[in-house]
Amino acid sequence: MKTEDQKIRNIGISAHIDSGKTTLTERILYYTKRIHAIHDVKGKDGVGATMDSMELEKERGITIASAATYCEWKGHEINIIDTPGHVDFTIEVERSLRVLDGAILVLCAVGGVQSQSITVDRQMKRYKVPCIAFINKCDRSGANPFRVISQLKTKLGHNAVAMQIPIGLENDVQGVVDLVGMKALYFEGGNGEIVREVEIPSYLLEEAKAKREELIDAASLFSDELTEAILNESEISSEMIYTALRKGTLKREITPVYMGSAYKNKGVQPMLDGVTYLLPCPSEIENEAIDMDKNEEKVVLSNDPEKPIVALVFKLEDGQYGQLTYIRVYQGTLEKGSTIVNVRTGKKVKVGRLVRMHADQMEDVEYLRAGYIGALFGIECSSGDTFTSPEVNLTMISMYVPKPVISLAIVLKDNKSQIAVAKALNRFAKEDPTFKTYVDNETGDTIIEGMGELHLDIYVERMRREYGADVTTGNPRVAYRETITQRAEFNYTHKKQTGGAGQFGRVAGYLEPISDGEFVFENKIFGGAIPTQYIQACEKGFKQSMAKGPKLEFPVTGVKVVINDGASHSVDSSDMAFQAAARGAFKEAYLRAKPVIHEPIMKVVVETPTEFQGSVMGLLNQRRGMIIGSQDEDVMCVIEAQVPLAEMFGFSTILRSATQGKAQFTMEFAIYRQVPQSIAEKIALEVAQNKKSAA
Amino acid sequence: MFTISVDLKRENNIIHLTYKDIIMIKKEMLYRNPLVSLGYENEDILPVGGFGAVLAHAGVGKTALLVQLALNMMLRGNSILHVSLNDAVGKVDLWYQEIFHDIIKRFGIVEVTEYWDRIQPYRFIMTFKVEGFSAPKLEERLTDLMEQNIFKPHTIIIDGFRFDDAGRGQLMRLKELVDKYSMRMWFTVHTHRHEPPQENGLPLSFLHIADLFDAIVQLAAKGDEVYIKSLKGISIESKQNDLILDPATMLIKDSE
Repeated sequence: MKTEDQKIRNIGISAHIDSGKTTLTERILYYTKRIHAIHDVKGKDGVGATMDSMELEKERGITIASAATYCEWKGHEINIIDTPGHVDFTIEVERSLRVLDGAILVLCAVGGVQSQSITVDRQMKRYKVPCIAFINKCDRSGANPFRVISQLKTKLGHNAVAMQIPIGLENDVQGVVDLVGMKALYFEGGNGEIVREVEIPSYLLEEAKAKREELIDAASLFSDELTEAILNESEISSEMIYTALRKGTLKREITPVYMGSAYKNKGVQPMLDGVTYLLPCPSEIENEAIDMDKNEEKVVLSNDPEKPIVALVFKLEDGQYGQLTYIRVYQGTLEKGSTIVNVRTGKKVKVGRLVRMHADQMEDVEYLRAGYIGALFGIECSSGDTFTSPEVNLTMISMYVPKPVISLAIVLKDNKSQIAVAKALNRFAKEDPTFKTYVDNETGDTIIEGMGELHLDIYVERMRREYGADVTTGNPRVAYRETITQRAEFNYTHKKQTGGAGQFGRVAGYLEPISDGEFVFENKIFGGAIPTQYIQACEKGFKQSMAKGPKLEFPVTGVKVVINDGASHSVDSSDMAFQAAARGAFKEAYLRAKPVIHEPIMKVVVETPTEFQGSVMGLLNQRRGMIIGSQDEDVMCVIEAQVPLAEMFGFSTILRSATQGKAQFTMEFAIYRQVPQSIAEKIALEVAQNKKSAA
Repeated sequence: MFTISVDLKRENNIIHLTYKDIIMIKKEMLYRNPLVSLGYENEDILPVGGFGAVLAHAGVGKTALLVQLALNMMLRGNSILHVSLNDAVGKVDLWYQEIFHDIIKRFGIVEVTEYWDRIQPYRFIMTFKVEGFSAPKLEERLTDLMEQNIFKPHTIIIDGFRFDDAGRGQLMRLKELVDKYSMRMWFTVHTHRHEPPQENGLPLSFLHIADLFDAIVQLAAKGDEVYIKSLKGISIESKQNDLILDPATMLIKDSE
């Protein structure tokens, strides 16, 4: 195993669904000799691309879970995280970005910067991931890499600069001109593995010179040496240009753009050179942790292999040999046999087997140094956990996990399925913090919750295929919430005197709405109207009531409870009595506090040819959508709207038929907002009916 | 004077807002509205079918002033179509949110999201590439919205219109459009430092179209302060001196 930090690259490949990133990864693995044959996504040979290790991914032609793999290119070790492109799996993308030092933003030469690329780019910005771009699919009809570069500038605000110009496009795609080395590159051999470097064809020379000028101009902003060379008209070396570009790329102030066609085996190797020249090594990225011993102070980690270990679990997978824990080491060296501590649980564990992953194959290693990505075997933990050496108590900054917005009841056909599903659910919940599961006490149904229809669909399919469980599903249900809108007072006495020990407790105070936070409890009792030992019981009672709102039995949020008076009895008062009193008080005040229902509102972005703009807006409007705006972009138009999730079921089919399949959309959770009165009545009716049928 | 009762009826399911808050915000915004204070007579400033322009050098706050004007109208229940020829939808939306937050903060109101949720439906953002924008295109988009009853603007804001390139003809077509649909239209006009103003304060390149405008105001920065003055549209009697604006909200600054 190599140890030179400068030669390590931890990169991700992020892009819009269907822009060909899995194919690109496959080619990278082939050229770096990690695999010896090429299989296509949705391959006719039935093997499928190497990174899509799950059967389901192969069938649907999309990447669901990010598989980590590594390869070597010209003395550099490249760890690649293949990230899913669909918004429903955003948590996966975000988790991957957290552990990356750089990324390749893959764009389609025809589709250009699409809505998903915007989401992914925003995530990259949030985690300050430097990136280079690769414009793929230059072999497709309508390909225009320079239009995509201009979109990178206008839509994403990147200072994008072409590193190459194409030699032929569409059917005629042959190779690229390298603007740094000023050579034409052709890709020959059965799978484009031989890169032939020749003089630039004369008909492209002028264009190449002009574009090189632009490239050097852009790069000169980051290097005085280069600026000087331009002013003195002295020779400009490739190294000078790369050094300047690297500086700009690391600061995210310039985005070098490569181009080609992974499918036709064109342009992948120069892009790999770009990864080694332009993307950062682990020590060039500043990573922070929180010191739990020093009042959660931020600590900058050093990439030093001699320092105490700090490592982050970013993915779990259940393989045939047990739980596989993907980990990135930020500091120190994780060695086989060493003892590490899970900071969340405080549990000490011994490192058993250490491996480096190559999609679903693995290679045993003795240690993982700072900056490396690998996997551990047989360690109990959850995604997002931090492992450290016993002498430090640092945790990597916790990642924001959104709450699920949709749920689905799953019905099991037989006993065998029950065991399989239990196993599957346990694994999914551990792997994916946005996936939750519980059993509905009333109906006895197993409920799964997640971030969107597709998100849950995939898990149901996985239960069927990987676990052989025979399951059917109910209709998806939206995660409504209840909240109050005004202050209401309570004064409730719980009194029971029916043989045996009595129960007595009185609580008085008020409920009021709060906008930030789910539940706040405040004790304003002076003089011991309620003895201190029962205050906790009161809080517990109110909290219990929040789980199921008295209005429609949805969870209640945004309530502040203040108690300011009460009474107790020396014999009959107990924890139980005060809990019951609190529940009674809550019920009493709640309906007077004018409760309302809140529903999840999704940010929906539709990309459509302009001729369908009107009808798409109509569709969104019919769905109670509020259109924020529309953006005209030549022949395409992007419409941004906020639409209640409840109205979005089946939208993809309707959108397809309304736009001859030419529009596409992405959707992500935006905000909870109050349901209009008429809809609230409908929901109430539905809830009543469900209750009736459950009974 | 205010349309509060109508507003509340329309949104009667939102009950966090109190009459007092709404009246206070509206009153204060009207009181501090620089255009009203400059002497423009009615709250809409422009007549139906009218054109208004905000002139300033780059970076002085043309967009911010119009966003503030738009927020004022949205609070009164009037719909605004904001057409940007420079920025993406997200950026324009951010302009609104930030200025609105700054205004609301002045009143010490914490329920910003609720206020925002309430007025946001009164705004629609459209962005075009500057070279792809034309009156017929705007009309086509507008009809899409109005025919389906999605949105009918009371006022249109056009930010980033290139007066240098567009001839009088283009403006005439826009004028016909606002006339036809009984709307009003505001423009931002980027003035150049190298171009000295004429006697009436207008830049030379604007003179040939100035007659199309019912109201013209100019913003100027002096140090950290932004001044506003009227160049057209108010009677001489009601003419005020230049007013100083708070650059964060573009409302009239408290006198110190």
